[in-house]
Amino acid sequence: MSLVEARDITLSARIGDMSVEVLRNVSFTLEAGETLGLVGESGAGKSMIGRLFSQLLPPGFAVSAGELIFDGENLITMSQTKRRRLLGKRIAFVPQEPMTALNPVLSIGSQFNEHLKRLGVRGGRARRDLAIKILSEVHLPEPELLLGKYPHQLSGGMCQRALIALAFAGDPVLVVADEPTTALDVMTQARIMALIAEMQQLHGTAMILITHDLRLAAHVCDKILVMYAGDVVERSGARDLLADPRHPYTRSLKRANPTISGPRMRLPTLPDQMPGLVEFSNLSGCRFSPRCPVNADACRAGVPAMLEIGPGHDVLCVPACASGERDISEVEAPPAPGGNGTDAPLVELKNVSRRFVTRGKWFANATTVDAVNDVSFAIGQGEFIGIVGESGSGKTTVARMIAGLDQPTEGQILVRGKDARLQTAEAKAERLETLQMIFQDPQSALNPRRMVESLLTQAMEADHRNHDAEERGGRAVDLLREIGLPGDSRRRYPSQLSGGQRQRVNIGRAICIAPKVLVADEIVSGLDVSVQAQILNLLLRLREELDISLLLISHDLSVVRYICSRVFVMHKGCVVESGPTEQVFADPQHAYTRTLLSAVPPDDADSPWPPLFSESEADVVRAF
Amino acid sequence: MNALAWRIRRLPAPLRSGRVLIGGGIVLAVTVIAIFAPWLAPNDPQEQDLFGNIMPPAWDPLGDPKYPFGTDNLGRCILSQLIYGARVAMVVAVVASTGAMVIGVTLAHIAGYFGGWIDGLITRLVDLWMSFPPVVLSLILMLGLGVGVSNVILAIILVDWTRFCRVVRSDVLVVRQRDYISAAQLLGFGHFRTLRREVLPSVMPLIITLMALEMGIAVVVEAILSFVGLSVEADVSAWGVMVADARQYMYQSVWGLILPIAAITVTVMGFNLLGDGLRRTLDPRLRQERHAQA
Amino acid sequence: MLRLILAILLRRLIVVIPMLLVVSVMIFVILRLLPVDPIAMIISPTALPHEVEATRAFHGLDKPIPVQYLIWIGNVFSGDFGNAISFRVSVLNLVGETLPATIELALFALFFAVIIGFGAGLYMFHVRGTVRETVTDVFSIAMLSFPDFLWALILILLVGVQWAILPFTGRYGPEFIAPDITGFIFLDAIITADGPLLWSALGHIILPALALALAFAPLIMRVLKSSLTEVMTEDYITLARLRGISEWRILLRHALKNGVLPTLTLVGVQFGFLFGGTLLVEIIFAYPGLGNLMVRAIRNTDLPVIQMAALTYCVVVLASNTVVDVLYVVLNPKLRKE
Repeated sequence: MSLVEARDITLSARIGDMSVEVLRNVSFTLEAGETLGLVGESGAGKSMIGRLFSQLLPPGFAVSAGELIFDGENLITMSQTKRRRLLGKRIAFVPQEPMTALNPVLSIGSQFNEHLKRLGVRGGRARRDLAIKILSEVHLPEPELLLGKYPHQLSGGMCQRALIALAFAGDPVLVVADEPTTALDVMTQARIMALIAEMQQLHGTAMILITHDLRLAAHVCDKILVMYAGDVVERSGARDLLADPRHPYTRSLKRANPTISGPRMRLPTLPDQMPGLVEFSNLSGCRFSPRCPVNADACRAGVPAMLEIGPGHDVLCVPACASGERDISEVEAPPAPGGNGTDAPLVELKNVSRRFVTRGKWFANATTVDAVNDVSFAIGQGEFIGIVGESGSGKTTVARMIAGLDQPTEGQILVRGKDARLQTAEAKAERLETLQMIFQDPQSALNPRRMVESLLTQAMEADHRNHDAEERGGRAVDLLREIGLPGDSRRRYPSQLSGGQRQRVNIGRAICIAPKVLVADEIVSGLDVSVQAQILNLLLRLREELDISLLLISHDLSVVRYICSRVFVMHKGCVVESGPTEQVFADPQHAYTRTLLSAVPPDDADSPWPPLFSESEADVVRAF
Repeated sequence: MNALAWRIRRLPAPLRSGRVLIGGGIVLAVTVIAIFAPWLAPNDPQEQDLFGNIMPPAWDPLGDPKYPFGTDNLGRCILSQLIYGARVAMVVAVVASTGAMVIGVTLAHIAGYFGGWIDGLITRLVDLWMSFPPVVLSLILMLGLGVGVSNVILAIILVDWTRFCRVVRSDVLVVRQRDYISAAQLLGFGHFRTLRREVLPSVMPLIITLMALEMGIAVVVEAILSFVGLSVEADVSAWGVMVADARQYMYQSVWGLILPIAAITVTVMGFNLLGDGLRRTLDPRLRQERHAQA
Repeated sequence: MLRLILAILLRRLIVVIPMLLVVSVMIFVILRLLPVDPIAMIISPTALPHEVEATRAFHGLDKPIPVQYLIWIGNVFSGDFGNAISFRVSVLNLVGETLPATIELALFALFFAVIIGFGAGLYMFHVRGTVRETVTDVFSIAMLSFPDFLWALILILLVGVQWAILPFTGRYGPEFIAPDITGFIFLDAIITADGPLLWSALGHIILPALALALAFAPLIMRVLKSSLTEVMTEDYITLARLRGISEWRILLRHALKNGVLPTLTLVGVQFGFLFGGTLLVEIIFAYPGLGNLMVRAIRNTDLPVIQMAALTYCVVVLASNTVVDVLYVVLNPKLRKE
């Protein structure tokens, strides 16, 4: 008998007057000690499957059909008290946001104490000893001291380790991990995944891993369910799935994610994005069909049946697609924009440093942080440059200094050969015409009280320009076409747009006055892969049409590889390696670059990942 | 019925809230009473009927229909005093809270947007002001300024600008952190334009809500000051004065006490309901929550 | 922890002393703008001009305002707070006699307000999502619309006059003579083991304290309810549920500890309102505290008393703010930096 068996589960939600099927006919099995990956973009319903185990569903959501058997008992019909007795003991959870998942006003020790008490460990002394034992199991240094600390004194990686320790404390048979590394840095992500695997081995625990990252899942899991809009569209062994995906959605998902090795393929762009819950009821037939590159008549007529195409490999698609007969053609991408040399650079950084001094309050000493240390480079016309690094590497500070939102403490930034510190109206205006910034989070960068038209042409409202409404309206129409938004979105507010559409508006606003250089800070990091692909292709198209340069700040190496011809690797404020992207990625010289590259799950399903870290455990922890 | 429901759904969000409708209705009614006081009042509020003092309301067997709510210890018509009292209350509420809002919001924008030493200075000033219990500060101010409606207004402005400044400043600080402020600067906006076009619209819902609540507070403060005899001139009818007078004869009749108390609390409740309703419909955070639930 | 608290106290002191100086200047200047002549109140109408001048000089009122201020503040630093003009006793004595009564009143009011506010706040939180949520919410707004001095009158009318179950004038029954050891009647009654006096003082303080508490409690209940509701959506609450911890334990151990912080901030900020409220409530209940002293001084235009009473109000508010600061640091580990 399997440990977990889901049989045709349908989860319904009441939205207003109508009932929507949030999950349809979800079935899977999980054996003891096995790992199952649930993969899909946001809105696919993968987190809802995780929530089925606790039955902590949002108001109005309820399972309308099917059963979820855990260890011989149906979790859905089980009484609440009985189910609660399982939680934390036999079924444990690892959360998505480690920093907010621990109670900020209780010490780590008292949170462990509470949990161990519930698990039935008697005696304060015994609980303390056990807490220390399991904290050292997750390689946290000085567990005795840690017990007296509060969550805000810990880094994200340390919090996640503590939470993993809590989850495994009860020796559970099943752990549900919902995007356990999404909020963490690339390096930390690899280490946490390695730790989870280690703990799983140690305790013989089965795991359900919910993630948006197909490659990560393929390396960590035994089998994978791919979800789209509440449907399981493909179910397969993990390696098999990455090597030979069959459902058109799985194939697009795999290809929409740029690679860090091998040939650079043009990213296929699916139109739009995953439909929201409200739209589900309007979708007859296959819910993917409106975006499907194949989209046959049969797909719209009705939901196709689950087809078995191999041992343990099922696809929810019409036979012609599932068999691989109708594949989407792959095109090799043109080389990333290299520009026309740096003889007359548009922006030049000369030995730029930025030191932050926190003035000591009252009795404390002043602390200094060198956020950026002696960075020099130049951006030529039409050139796409990338800066990669983890959070805290100083890459965002570089972007802010170039945009003029921050000033270097040493060194010089030249815009078109003129010092960026010049404050004359003329010099300022020239800088603004030359350089624009695209902010990371469109939610924060777009004033929610302006309409799209007003946002796009906001630059024309500036002090030294002041165009009338008619001119602005005309420009807005051009820009909408440029960024690929429908004309009727002019009169919408940002809250009425999807995440990808908002990021398009964000880009459109920056190109309104036709600047020469765009500084883009992590502009795709909050987006789903298929939307990310759309935005990356949009940037490449803008390069062709407007001959702009781009400085892309990103933690995602594969994104930088796809669109940047040169790359700078930053670590603790310093540029540790730079050069043509292909060369740096193929043959990294600096140890840090090598570690960074090894932390990315490889495209090849057979190469092992997560890597074994050569540093001693103490070093590992110090790096967090 | 469906057409009605459809029409209600088309109204702007604040007008669909029961609280805004009820609160706004009360405020509107008091405003109308204040404006049309001379036509609505059955008697001259200051005219004394020395043979008919402390008369019960008209529905009491001993009452006189000439005085629907009875008379006070000097034989003045209670209903007429209440109606005229609304004038003082509303004038003070509207003018004083507008003044306090203008000063408080201006300083809040300067402090929250520019930060640095100017923020430190304004914050310290607010702290200083807040160390006075408001009642004590307004009493001292009225002592220095002398009685009169305009002085009451001035005193309330001088005391209550801090309420706006403190709350709005922290909201401006939050808005200041949003990227759209940096974006506006990079697009060539000057400070004034950024404040007017980006910051002010974002904190406007808060200001509107605070205005409604402050009007209620102004009504109470005016009543307190007239209760201790430091508000209006002797020949002006005010609810606080009525309460103070009625205390003297509450053993003979409670109506003189209960009616002005009711007038004050109903008016304040109107402002509070209006403020709460506006907060619920205008605060984007609360609105999103309800969207998520819907 | 103790060192931390001392550091906070020291830090507050550095801020508070200049603040009090500025406050004293403000009070001084406002009061000197007074259109009335304080001397006129105490001197006989038939006094000759040179007698008036002599009295004026005696009280130091003939010098320019900055000089008057410097003399006054100099005296204050040497421990001399001056004499009241109309009461003809030391201002310090007057304030010393009345302040304990007011502090007692404020503490009882705060105690009632916290009990009512927390009780009702937890109830409002408990019924969230039902029809009763709207009912309790509107009810709390209605309560918010009654200022303390109107509550005082309503309570006198109902409990004092209509039902006549509780006394509503003074601090204790007329048959008692206060022992006057600390000035705090409850402490004194306990020290002298005077049960009847304690009982009488308790009966007398209930109505005025309740009047203040009823005006203050709605603020507490509303903030507590909304901050608890917000805390309940936090990740750590969800994860606590996923660890199988019971709802009761989550509320009491996890949510309340976090939810109480905004409530504490509110109490700190609004304590001035409660404390200022004692002024009117004292007048209405003929309660011999600072407020009564101040209003009597206002009637007599007794400047030294008015400015000292006003300054005392500020000192108490600043002191209570300091207490809240310390409590906040004790309850919130994020602020606890060594």
